[in-house]
Amino acid sequence: MSEKTSVLNKAKKLASDFWNGKPHEERRLGDLYLDKTGLYKHREWRGFKDTMYYFNMIWLYNYGHMVTDIMKYGGGLKGLPLFLKGVWRYRWLGQTYLPVMHWYDRGLEGMRGEGLRASAWHYRAMTSETIRQFMRMLAADQKTGGSKELYDRTPAHDETVWGGIFYPWRDRMDDVPLQMIPYFVTCHVNNHVVLNYIDAAQSIGLPGDPCPMCQAECGIFLQDDVPEYYPFVITSNEACDGSVGTSVIQDWMMDRPLFAMPQPMQFDDPLVQEHCAREIEECWKFIEEQSGMPMNMDELKKHLEEQNELQRFEWEKWDVAANTDYYPINGVAQALYRIYQSQDGNREIWHETDKKVRKILEKCVEKKINSFPKTRHRVIAWSCAPLYYSHWCTWAYNCWGLNCIINMDSLMFDMTIRTDTYENMLMDMALYHEWAPMRRMAVGGMHHIFELWENMEKFHCDMVMMYDQLQCKGMQGVHGLFEDEFRARDIHAIWMPHALPDKRTVSRSEIRGIINDYMTTIMHEKPLDPTLLEFDDSEGW
Amino acid sequence: MKNVLKALKILFLACTGLYLVLFLVYWFDLDGKALFYGVEPFLKNHYDKMKRKDPLEVVYKTDTPNYEYNK
Repeated sequence: MSEKTSVLNKAKKLASDFWNGKPHEERRLGDLYLDKTGLYKHREWRGFKDTMYYFNMIWLYNYGHMVTDIMKYGGGLKGLPLFLKGVWRYRWLGQTYLPVMHWYDRGLEGMRGEGLRASAWHYRAMTSETIRQFMRMLAADQKTGGSKELYDRTPAHDETVWGGIFYPWRDRMDDVPLQMIPYFVTCHVNNHVVLNYIDAAQSIGLPGDPCPMCQAECGIFLQDDVPEYYPFVITSNEACDGSVGTSVIQDWMMDRPLFAMPQPMQFDDPLVQEHCAREIEECWKFIEEQSGMPMNMDELKKHLEEQNELQRFEWEKWDVAANTDYYPINGVAQALYRIYQSQDGNREIWHETDKKVRKILEKCVEKKINSFPKTRHRVIAWSCAPLYYSHWCTWAYNCWGLNCIINMDSLMFDMTIRTDTYENMLMDMALYHEWAPMRRMAVGGMHHIFELWENMEKFHCDMVMMYDQLQCKGMQGVHGLFEDEFRARDIHAIWMPHALPDKRTVSRSEIRGIINDYMTTIMHEKPLDPTLLEFDDSEGW
Repeated sequence: MKNVLKALKILFLACTGLYLVLFLVYWFDLDGKALFYGVEPFLKNHYDKMKRKDPLEVVYKTDTPNYEYNK
């Protein structure tokens, strides 16, 4: 080859890399990291179009909306000082809100085209709903000078009490879960924050071996880091019986009228169903009594029907994910958006997002656009995920071509709610309430945790990422049974040990090491991007 | 008219300049670096020093009503 041709080919290659981005195998994403921090020497060049999309429609757009949403949900300009006061007062807010764009970066690394767009819209919705929730907390917070009038109209509830319980008052009150933002969201965005709360629980002499979620949720209260925005509270057992202990400590610290509505384990039993339905009615009476506001059944029906619309679209998404290669949403966006939305209940932002995602989804199906062309294995993720490494699936696709199609938490609320008669509506609401995170499958009995097999088939998955929450006594109890089943069914399953929010027990790097070992020693495969095999992000958000 | 054009030109150049600066911030992850090395340690220090209520001094009141309605 002459020198001239060689220079010409190099120029062509450079031009192609500039315009289209490098091919997957040449990206060397691991070279972009600064050691230990997870920061980038520079952000990724995704090709001209996608880099510009990321810069304008994700980075700039979201930074902009992080300010405008504060004003939107904080009552205009006065929202800004309110927010700053909140940042100064609450660790979970200050340390989490600011690095939020890095949460996008981690989850969307290596993504291109329609997949990038659809996944980013999911992130945007979660960010917006998070801002709505904490701005409502701050606006009503008596610790930082919030409005007493709003305080009276802001009931609180455990994060696993479905927001739908409050639909009959959504026209006059706005419910805000106690732990969704201070605990759940913080773990994903900045995994350092929660460690303070876990340690706080142990600092008063509580043992360190229960589930760290229970410890962290206690710790937020023990550190006096929960805004005083609520006159009364609805709790559950957070569907894990370890959390009952959390509720006792929360009740101690909150000192508020409290109604407990635990999700029972034997939820297939019609008598338990009946009991749960009556408990919802009792809860409604409690809310009426505490707020002095009667229920509005039309409001309830309206929100349930709107929630059903969200569910119907989710089913369409599952159908595309299960039966085609054209699903444009990555594993982490799918998992987080779905659990957030289905637990939070009907909100305008979910409808706006679904509308945008529908357009992308339909385009991908019509034009046969495969957003994950390097897929080697279709993975289903089962049990409870490590919150500090929910974006493992982005890494696993970039490094190994493991495409996480669906996960257990997405499949929990697999139902619409009938609104034709009061009794039907109540019974369906009871079932939805019972199908709470963790209770629906993880600690919902043998039959339900083994729904893995039928979902594996339904979603055409050939591999399982089996989460192994080391401090969940419920799931530890079925570990051996799963081992036996995987062997008997000849299923490739990678056990991913973790301690839910606590990265100190099993680090992200150790998790990657376990996947690397399986992929090399069992699957005999070579990485797509070897720079991602080993890197140190131990101090990263 | 001339002044309007001049003002528009200045506005255009200022916006373009700002856009380029923001792109550099984005490209070199300067937002992340500023937050990681500057803002977060400062805030963390503040939160660590904050005086907090001693939880063990809070009295656990157990005399609240038992809310049961369907008896």
